[in-house]
Amino acid sequence: MEKMSEYSFVAAILATALALVAYVAYALSGLRAARMQTAGGPRVGFFGTRTAYGPRTASIGQYGTILGWLALVFLIAWMVFRTAATGHGPFSNMYEFSVAFALGILAVYYWIERRYNQKILALVALPVALLLMLYATTIPATVEPLVPALQNNLLLTTHVAVAIVAYGSFTVGFGAALLYLIQPAGGRWGLPKPDVVDEIGHKAVVVGFPFLTLVIVLGAIWADVAWGRYWSWDPKETASFVTWLVYGAYLHARVTRGWRGQRTALLLVVGFAATLFTYFGNLFFGGLHSYSGLG
Amino acid sequence: MTNEVQRAHLPANTSEARSRAVRGAGSRIDDVLERAWHLLTSMRFGIVLILAIAGVSLIGTLVVQVPPGVEANASAKAEWLNEIRPRFGGWTGLMDQLGMFNIFQSVWFRSLVAFLAASLIACSTNRLPKLWRTATHPHVSVSPRFFEHAPQHDQIVVRGTKEQALAALTASMRRHHYRVLSAEDGDVHVYADRYRWAPMGTVVAHLSIVVVLAGAMVGSVWGFRDGNFMIPEGSTVAVPAIAGLEARLVSFEDSYYSETGAPADYASDLVLLQDGREVARQVVRVNEPLRYSELSFYQSFYGPAAAIRVSDPLQGDLFADGVALAWTAEDLGRRVGTFTVPGRDLTVWVVGTSGSSDPLVKPGQMRLEIYGAQDGQVRATRTVDQGEAAEIEGLTFTFERELQFTGLSVARDPGTPLVWLGSLLLIAGTFLVLTYPHRRVWARIVMRPDGIGQLSLAGAGKRDLDSNTEFTNLIVDIRAAFAAPTRA
Repeated sequence: MEKMSEYSFVAAILATALALVAYVAYALSGLRAARMQTAGGPRVGFFGTRTAYGPRTASIGQYGTILGWLALVFLIAWMVFRTAATGHGPFSNMYEFSVAFALGILAVYYWIERRYNQKILALVALPVALLLMLYATTIPATVEPLVPALQNNLLLTTHVAVAIVAYGSFTVGFGAALLYLIQPAGGRWGLPKPDVVDEIGHKAVVVGFPFLTLVIVLGAIWADVAWGRYWSWDPKETASFVTWLVYGAYLHARVTRGWRGQRTALLLVVGFAATLFTYFGNLFFGGLHSYSGLG
Repeated sequence: MTNEVQRAHLPANTSEARSRAVRGAGSRIDDVLERAWHLLTSMRFGIVLILAIAGVSLIGTLVVQVPPGVEANASAKAEWLNEIRPRFGGWTGLMDQLGMFNIFQSVWFRSLVAFLAASLIACSTNRLPKLWRTATHPHVSVSPRFFEHAPQHDQIVVRGTKEQALAALTASMRRHHYRVLSAEDGDVHVYADRYRWAPMGTVVAHLSIVVVLAGAMVGSVWGFRDGNFMIPEGSTVAVPAIAGLEARLVSFEDSYYSETGAPADYASDLVLLQDGREVARQVVRVNEPLRYSELSFYQSFYGPAAAIRVSDPLQGDLFADGVALAWTAEDLGRRVGTFTVPGRDLTVWVVGTSGSSDPLVKPGQMRLEIYGAQDGQVRATRTVDQGEAAEIEGLTFTFERELQFTGLSVARDPGTPLVWLGSLLLIAGTFLVLTYPHRRVWARIVMRPDGIGQLSLAGAGKRDLDSNTEFTNLIVDIRAAFAAPTRA
């Protein structure tokens, strides 16, 4: 089982990398099409045979989508095999959690891609997922038995499974915010329109925020069982609370005139920074959550 | 929150303007109160408050925080500050003054949270009547202009009577799970909506935070917590907080995984005795606390202990119990515990070995340091082997054997039910308001005498994909409903 999960993991890395290549090619073709449009619309090719590029070379993007879905399937296979090998959701150390985080990103991204059909977002979401998986390859993947604090299969699995959905959503929201911030009002470079990415960012938080709330509440329940108090201002707890506040502020800001647009997009970036801080935090700030398996 | 924006598209709600006019010229106090109210219900103030709390909390993760219990103890606090001084240098004093090492008990944090609670209550009070009206007394008829400017709008040509058209429209809308209300003043006005109670989730979510805060407050005022409740194996110790309740540790086991050496289990076999009668027994593990009455016992830490017997040649045993070596001496890392000899003016410190390289206390030995309890003067120090009896101050001290002690956290928190209730409401409210936006559609049927008329439809959703899709799906069905009979 452990072997199978490793094979799936490697396959997922390859599929994600190839998908990313396809998406980059897709974006470049779009950029070229956008340039040509500003230069006077579709032109005849050098040899006079090809009449026009589409607004984008859609088929390349389609390859990206297929490869990305494949990566998602491999990651789900990884999760199933790993769960079978360990008896709990594969979320007990930094290796397992990093791969699961990548799974969360891909899952939310493909849900959004199906809904909004905006493939350019993959240029942010997929690199983050890929980096997390590459990071995971640097950590020993051996299945180790759980230390006493983590010996609660039900809460370990639900608490962290819910967390990866929230984190995946916030990564997609971050991607949307970046696409919003890098283009001038009105849109440019064949990127999705600011209104569209603003809406996608909001959708990501609408999904992520209740999930993050659930993560924190499940964490409090677990803390009450294992540590004897539902809240101890442990650094990781606090960091997740800060993240929750930032996205709470975002939800309020988005319906406030003067905050909408630029500032809300910035809040999404800050929120994602807080998410990463929460995620990597236990590597440097110690506290009760420090069982990353990295000493 | 979303509702305020949607409302902007709708005919203005006049009651608020009226009430403002009635209040008119008030006294100064009214003015101040009104300003405070305005501030507390302002979304901008809310956002700034949330971000401020986030910023202050961030300090709590970046700056090392005082361990619990140290803040109240002046000498321990000074010692702790000295420990961290190298990290912050000359800033240490100022940072301490500003409460940065105990940020969540600081006046900054508490005032921000108090403001937040006030703001949450004010906003909810402010919103609730409006949300209630929107859900229960919607405007059925809206101005004709609205059908041209609404975020989603469409027109359909219909044939037949007003009644037929209304019936067909109502049937279509009900198929989409809309509630349909209608009114007639020559033309037919229709209002239909879905998820009309979901916006209440806003109020539920906001007030749930107040419930959680109330729970935290109840816990800190009426709760009880002892994070350092230690019992050596075989000993019985009185439990604070409940009279006549004692806890006895039958045994403590710590086990480790053979391959990795990582801890596998900490298990305390614990018996609770009420007035000497056994009332509960459980093996307490990290994820398996013992709950008895309102108290909970959590596995928290453990350490070495020594079974010591002190006897008087005439009176027999004065003391025969386990002594938890609860502290670690700073210099060599020796474990240290203490007890007083009942009926004698003696305090005994029991010092364990720091390992095989320890020159003073070898493994298998204990060092006894005996002081006068009143004067603090050393009476004797002696290192003894296991089972060896030492004559000190006319008493026989025996180190009988090595034991372990368990460190439990004992807590009673009457605020937790409120915290869990608040958490549940928070999740439910957030999920409700974010997942089910209130869908509202208005329609107007205008019939000409010749039996041909116009059905106008307008939706008040946001201009986003979900609202547009929802509206489009509805329109497609309504069109089909009106197309069908003419074909037949």
